[in-house]
Amino acid sequence: MSKNGPIALIYHTLFVIFMLAPIVVVCWVAFTPEGFLSFPTTDWSLRWFRAIARYPEFISAFWQSLGLGALSSALAVGFSVPAALAIARHRFRGREAFTALFMSPLMIPYIVLGIAFLRFFTEIGLSGSFTGLVLAHIIVVFPFALRLTLASAIGLDRSIEHAAVSLGASEWTVLKRVTLPLVVPGLASGWALAFINSFDEVTMTVFIAGPGTATLPVRMFLYIQDNIDPLVTSVSACVIAITVAGLVALDRAYGLERLLVGRGHDGR
Amino acid sequence: MAFLQLDALSKAFGPHKAVDGLTLGVEKGEFVSLLGPSGCGKTTTLQMIAGFVEPSGGAIRLEGKDLLAVKPAKRGLGIVFQSYALFPHMSVAENVAFGLEMQGVAKAERAKRVAETLGLVGLGAFAARFPRQLSGGQQQRVALARALVIRPQILLLDEPLSNLDAKLREEMQIELRQIQRTVGTTTILVTHDQAEAMALSDRIVVMNQGRAEQIAPPHEAYERPATPFVANFLGKTNLIDGKAVRPERIEFASSGLAGTVRTRIFQGNHWLYQVETASGLLTVIRQNAGGTMPEEGASVHLAWAAP
Repeated sequence: MSKNGPIALIYHTLFVIFMLAPIVVVCWVAFTPEGFLSFPTTDWSLRWFRAIARYPEFISAFWQSLGLGALSSALAVGFSVPAALAIARHRFRGREAFTALFMSPLMIPYIVLGIAFLRFFTEIGLSGSFTGLVLAHIIVVFPFALRLTLASAIGLDRSIEHAAVSLGASEWTVLKRVTLPLVVPGLASGWALAFINSFDEVTMTVFIAGPGTATLPVRMFLYIQDNIDPLVTSVSACVIAITVAGLVALDRAYGLERLLVGRGHDGR
Repeated sequence: MAFLQLDALSKAFGPHKAVDGLTLGVEKGEFVSLLGPSGCGKTTTLQMIAGFVEPSGGAIRLEGKDLLAVKPAKRGLGIVFQSYALFPHMSVAENVAFGLEMQGVAKAERAKRVAETLGLVGLGAFAARFPRQLSGGQQQRVALARALVIRPQILLLDEPLSNLDAKLREEMQIELRQIQRTVGTTTILVTHDQAEAMALSDRIVVMNQGRAEQIAPPHEAYERPATPFVANFLGKTNLIDGKAVRPERIEFASSGLAGTVRTRIFQGNHWLYQVETASGLLTVIRQNAGGTMPEEGASVHLAWAAP
């Protein structure tokens, strides 16, 4: 492995600081005993962590976000597999148009999507419902799921499937035993990216979530409109802690690189 | 009719004719090579036999039966791909067992045949490994075992050795020949390497622009090339007065065609000469018998028996 020069090292250090500083500041402020956002804080207290318990709506909003993200990402990945296989392998009329259509949610401002969905869901009676949220989130996270599924479908060596066919496997068996196992890293990373985007989404969701279906970011957004206390920082710190714990557990169990990059699969 | 019969087989991609009326009969147990430069239609021909490409015209018959009416998965052919195409998520044993599993062979019988076939290719000790843990040559053998274990009627080899380095390639050629002799499977090899085709085959089909230029045993094709293309493709050749003369057939003599040695290259077991003559620049190959040889710039006379 080649060593970095001093300038590169300084650059990398600054970049890492730039990336991590907001997270560190949020976690730091969460431990303040004061009733307002104070930084740097001199005293330490768990006051604002204990305060979370007095707001059960934050906890239910967290579960709401988790369920919404997991479900809409899983459905988006499920829909992306046939789309990715078709786009990666076949040249058909309207292929470019379909690809552009699937990617279009990325190009429309989320605030526009939010207003459109609000109007549409009110029309069909899904306003403020969980079903409505799931539908909207599938559409928003679909481009992320498709991008990564597509990348792994394009990278797939067709002759591996041909080999399976020549050995007597039916189309369904090839899909189940060969194609799907080989695109799993792409599906896993597509799901993860879709989940993060769903979990994070506030601009659009704030329009379509009802009082009973508010997600965590929406709940936090509404809270800081009326309050200036550091409660949201302690909530954020908890989410960060859960994320880190989740990533470590995933890495121990499967190896993050294998899951997201697929390095463990073919060694190339 | 031959065991495998291709009749006026054609494939056009738009206006481009990849394969143009190829007729070929392959006998049972025979080893035939489709040889030619890239784009000559050899791989397309193989893929039509395998069923991955649909012909635009012509017929393929196996033991007299129309093979084109049979789905690729039901043709019962063993294929070894250039990229090996092993299943990366399965162990060596699982890779080899896959075809037997598809045929519904019972588990005990499956294990026995997998072990036998891995033994045949010398990989008995590697059953539990994964493809990524094997060298290129070993992956190649797994691919061969996976194709052979289903006892295919025909073994199709698509440039199977081109990803190996020169020394390993030569070893694998010898081994492939021995294995094919042992199991007696009818084999069709696609290659652009004339040395490989000549080393392995009972007959070679020299292809150019979708057509067969010559179908003959290797020695015959080399000695009596049917067209200038075949002469040029199968090793070095000199065109003297419209006749092809192999460089190793030309001798230095006391009389004959006069010339001057332009370059002399020592290649271990032989010397390679370029000699300037009235008939143009000729290539001459002489065995290294340990004696002194003409130097660069020397005046020489060349002689050869009429081909």
